[in-house]
Amino acid sequence: MSMPSLPEITFQAVSFGFEDEQILQRCSFRAPAAQHTILKGESGSGKSTILQLILGYYQPQVGQIMVNNNPRQPRDLRKQSSWLPQDLDIGDGSVRDVMATPFDFAANTSQKPSVTTQQEVWQKLGLELGLLDKKFRNLSTGQRQRVGLALCHLLDKSLVLLDEPTSSLDRASKQKVAELLLDHNRTIISTSHDPFWVDLGDNLIELD
Amino acid sequence: MEIINLSWLQIGIGFLILVLPAYILWRYRTGLNRKLLTASVRMVLQLLFVGYYLEYLFAYDNPWINAAWILVMVAVADFATVDRSNLQQKASVLVPIFGATFLGIIVIDFFFLEAVIQLPKLLAAQYTIPITGMVLGNCLRSNVIGINAFYYSLNEHKERYQFYLSCGATRSEALRPFISQALQKSANPTLASMATIGLVSLPGMMTGQILSGSSPLIAIKYQIMIMVAIFSGTILSVFLGILFTNRFVFEDTDMLDESILKK
Repeated sequence: MSMPSLPEITFQAVSFGFEDEQILQRCSFRAPAAQHTILKGESGSGKSTILQLILGYYQPQVGQIMVNNNPRQPRDLRKQSSWLPQDLDIGDGSVRDVMATPFDFAANTSQKPSVTTQQEVWQKLGLELGLLDKKFRNLSTGQRQRVGLALCHLLDKSLVLLDEPTSSLDRASKQKVAELLLDHNRTIISTSHDPFWVDLGDNLIELD
Repeated sequence: MEIINLSWLQIGIGFLILVLPAYILWRYRTGLNRKLLTASVRMVLQLLFVGYYLEYLFAYDNPWINAAWILVMVAVADFATVDRSNLQQKASVLVPIFGATFLGIIVIDFFFLEAVIQLPKLLAAQYTIPITGMVLGNCLRSNVIGINAFYYSLNEHKERYQFYLSCGATRSEALRPFISQALQKSANPTLASMATIGLVSLPGMMTGQILSGSSPLIAIKYQIMIMVAIFSGTILSVFLGILFTNRFVFEDTDMLDESILKK
């Protein structure tokens, strides 16, 4: 299922906050289609919240979020997206189950990867095949991060949102992740304060 | 074989045995004797009350009154379920759980009372009251386990739920793993008791029937049927409880309305 065009995401003076704190104050930026946009800022600057706003888990109090110049329709957008959350709570049970669950959703059944494709991706990220039978929650943070990234890659969506994707990876793994994920025709928005990853962005948005 | 009625004097004598546990609890300074006293008083008063009104229920034995009794019991179970599941007593939770439990009970009652046992009189009190009571009591227990597990884990693993949504799951697809977990948790105790029944303990209903003069072979038939009824009733009411509440406790963003959770 290929989308007619890759999404461009625009924030137009978006303000958002929770009961006890204001997170975003008239935040505006543009994440162009087919580019890798980096959101950089202190922790607490609202980077993760921006990704959740894009996905429509929250609504802006003021302002608009546009996808290709139309107000975003969360349920439609989620069919073209994948998201790597910061705490990596992306499933339960064995690693194999975690890898399989998203492909059971009607929106993804046609994307279900063959065993060989899955193994190729697995090896490109330096993961051992033996890990598949382990409990997901028993993996190290770095391993869970790479499992999540493998999943985001295999889902093959036109919009990929990555929250601190390299926070637990060593230099060699980061290199492998970059080669796998960035070398494709997708719109990528990632939050990061890792200089290595920030360098790989096509454009940089600094949040205060 | 008539059952021996107990006089109040005999009941009083029966209570004397409590001296043994009370001494042990006192000796080891558990502080539980106060609780033992209030629990005993409550037990006696509540059962006296139930005993008297069941006498009337049996004396009238009117299907409408019996149905009204079922409604009241479902309402009581509803409030207790919501309270013990750590949810706020809001209409968005109370109403769907009431509907789910009531529907579950209706299906089970009509199937077992009318289709299996084939009561000569619609909703005859002698069968309707004890069987509904047993099924409902178990529904309450497993609703608390299942509904609590569902909302607790949905809140605890909010990110996981959001992750499923983020890659294209519909709301009900994203909730499926959470429902599966809740069903497992609430089914396990009943399955465990089905698997050990008769080996470890004699079930209460069977004991009662034998005491009142039934042959053990009749008693086990009823026990088998009641276990099937309990298992079906509990799974049905947990599943419907989650399904019905889900229609009212999500916002337009597909996020859980967290105001239903107790702080």
